[in-house]
Amino acid sequence: MGLKRQEMKAARRTRRATEKTHSEDGVDLTLIRWMLSLTPAQRLDVLEDHVRTILRMRGEAARS
Amino acid sequence: VDFIVVGGVCGVLHGAPLNTFDLDIVHSREAGNIDRLLSALQSLGARYRTPGKQSMAPQSAHLASAGHQLLMTDAGALDLLGSIGNGHVYQDLRAETEVVEIEAGLSLRMLSLPALIRIKEETAQEKDKLALLVLRRTLEEKSRK
Repeated sequence: MGLKRQEMKAARRTRRATEKTHSEDGVDLTLIRWMLSLTPAQRLDVLEDHVRTILRMRGEAARS
Repeated sequence: VDFIVVGGVCGVLHGAPLNTFDLDIVHSREAGNIDRLLSALQSLGARYRTPGKQSMAPQSAHLASAGHQLLMTDAGALDLLGSIGNGHVYQDLRAETEVVEIEAGLSLRMLSLPALIRIKEETAQEKDKLALLVLRRTLEEKSRK
């Protein structure tokens, strides 16, 4: 039983190591996998943080 | 208020790494729902953000139309869409939605990811093509899980 679990873990590690990072059309699959690992509320938090950062940078650029 | 979250926020809720500055929703255009929606919009201080209409508050006749009402509210930009794609309205879309719980007591009805992609493809402009690529790959990754 313990051996089987170790084999499964090793198979998962191998699969992760050989997973593509980008699709043929250039989409970053690592970002998608990361987003999919979050809850819907956490995904909204990520969006809010990005929007806030962009707005802050725009404000700073306008002032300089 | 009966509505369906569509657009970029819907994509993000499904796990697509997209950025967007507005919330797009398709609302039910039944009379009772329009009354409830207007009341919610008033409490949010909603005004049009389109040039020439900027100090105007939306009226029930606007919300009863199939058109798009582009608003600014105290909580940010909000697009109320009477229909999307090739004329899909709330009642048609409802069967292709799912309800997602954001936090205790707050659930949202959003378009399914396959429906979001299909409807975006119907009227995709140049600016939508990148988002479509990301949405399609997100669907593929979700299917692999």
